[in-house]
Amino acid sequence: MSKISRRLFTGLAAASVGTLAFPSISLGAVPRVVVIGGGAGGATAARYIAKDSGGAVDVTLVEASKRYYTCFFSNIYLGGFRNYGSIGHNYYGLSVNQGVNVVHEWAVSVDPANRIVKLGSGNTLYYDKLVVSPGIDLKYDSINGYSAAVQDKMPHAWKSGTQVQLLRNQVMNMKQGGTFVMVPPPNPYRCPPGPYERVSMIAHQFKQSNPTAKIVILDPKPKFSKQGLFEAGWQKHYPGMIEWISSEDHGGIKNVNATKMEFVTDLDTFKADAACVVPAQKAGAIAMAAGVNDGDWCPIQPASMQSKADENIYVLGDASMAKSMPKSGFSANSQAKVAANHIRGALTGSKVFDARYSNTCWSLIAPDDDVKVGASYVAGAELIDVESKFISQADDSSETRAANYQESIDWYNGITADMFS
Amino acid sequence: MKILLFLIFLLTSFCKFAFSEEHSDEQQIIEMGDIEYGQYLGAECASCHQQTGASEGIPAINGMDAEVFVALMLAYRSKEMENPVMQMIAGRLDDEQIGSLALYFSQLEPPK
Repeated sequence: MSKISRRLFTGLAAASVGTLAFPSISLGAVPRVVVIGGGAGGATAARYIAKDSGGAVDVTLVEASKRYYTCFFSNIYLGGFRNYGSIGHNYYGLSVNQGVNVVHEWAVSVDPANRIVKLGSGNTLYYDKLVVSPGIDLKYDSINGYSAAVQDKMPHAWKSGTQVQLLRNQVMNMKQGGTFVMVPPPNPYRCPPGPYERVSMIAHQFKQSNPTAKIVILDPKPKFSKQGLFEAGWQKHYPGMIEWISSEDHGGIKNVNATKMEFVTDLDTFKADAACVVPAQKAGAIAMAAGVNDGDWCPIQPASMQSKADENIYVLGDASMAKSMPKSGFSANSQAKVAANHIRGALTGSKVFDARYSNTCWSLIAPDDDVKVGASYVAGAELIDVESKFISQADDSSETRAANYQESIDWYNGITADMFS
Repeated sequence: MKILLFLIFLLTSFCKFAFSEEHSDEQQIIEMGDIEYGQYLGAECASCHQQTGASEGIPAINGMDAEVFVALMLAYRSKEMENPVMQMIAGRLDDEQIGSLALYFSQLEPPK
């Protein structure tokens, strides 16, 4: 069978059967890579290893969801600029175009000594190299009174999916002139400017449908990403609507009462008509099961994204401790390419090039007012070091801010094609 | 008109022949390039530049003429062209890396 038709066949088989059982012993000389997690880190790694090895590496992607809704641009949906379907993607491109075996299951455990991943069905996957890219889990108990049981009352909406749709509904249905409370997470967390872009997008929605509404941000931090740019934007577009209260002023959130919709702080007790509460975060559970974590996150080798605990395991994206890179989809996508190059080199002898990373985060404050921050990075001995960086300027022209928004839309199309096509 | 175009063609061919020892900066940079290295480096570009189809804000670069590619990257590197993202990306590329990227992208199928 020719390379293309074999790949097509493998892809179609994976696409149509959905779940495939694999023997736990490698059958041939073709090395095997298993990727856990089909987001910006995992999907990109699977795609690049399969694409660039041209069939010389067998790649299996384990991802529970058949349709993946990106976290990035979920705020743009919350602002009413996109419909929810437009941030959903499937895995057919990876299986049909790239020959990746896509298995829609949960990975439940990893046996690093025998290099085996166990799936929820009981099936096992053998690997030569394993990529762990599970994203985040939420530490619900980091906020007294908050729990998974009340997450539909006060959505976190920090892992995309139905929680984001729920939050949009609650924003749209909040009583006229009501108060919306936003509780951002403490550092480190997924998408540093995300909570503040979210506030901007909710304010944009309120400006049209609920113009006397108020937004109170009870921040567990004394400062935040792109603070000057956001605050200037809020002043310009939503004067009097948004109040940001620093941890130094409210003294910490002592308790959250989801029944009464109340937030108790040293400063005051805040009553909400709708709320978004984002707790502290940690690496996804499978990273802990694989034993590659040190506390909440997973230390990596800056030159390769290999786990410091196991050279056959690579940890990508939010789950990794990749300081100085922020936890973002862009970062995960960038790290995946370094890991893919390193993995191919180890398994097929292809040339391994020096690690180079980059990140850019766009944030929409109001229609055609978009700000960005970014940096390029190189591998240092201990950390991923910043090489150069930039941030939008306070005195940018309105044309520049509008061009940033168009750029972010093109980036969205670019990165999702880079992950899924 | 056709005759004029033909004359220009003859003239440029002659010039290329006559001055072939004197390569432009762009050509010299392209000669330093390596396609395999360009493929690795080019993965960074694919995060934003779509591989198929044109777009309004971020242009397609697949199939771009290698000399044009080099000239653009040099202009971003020296900050003659604006856009902080591209200035950052180009700012850390040396001539060999720019040449490698130019070679890699010029041999890809341009978007339809």
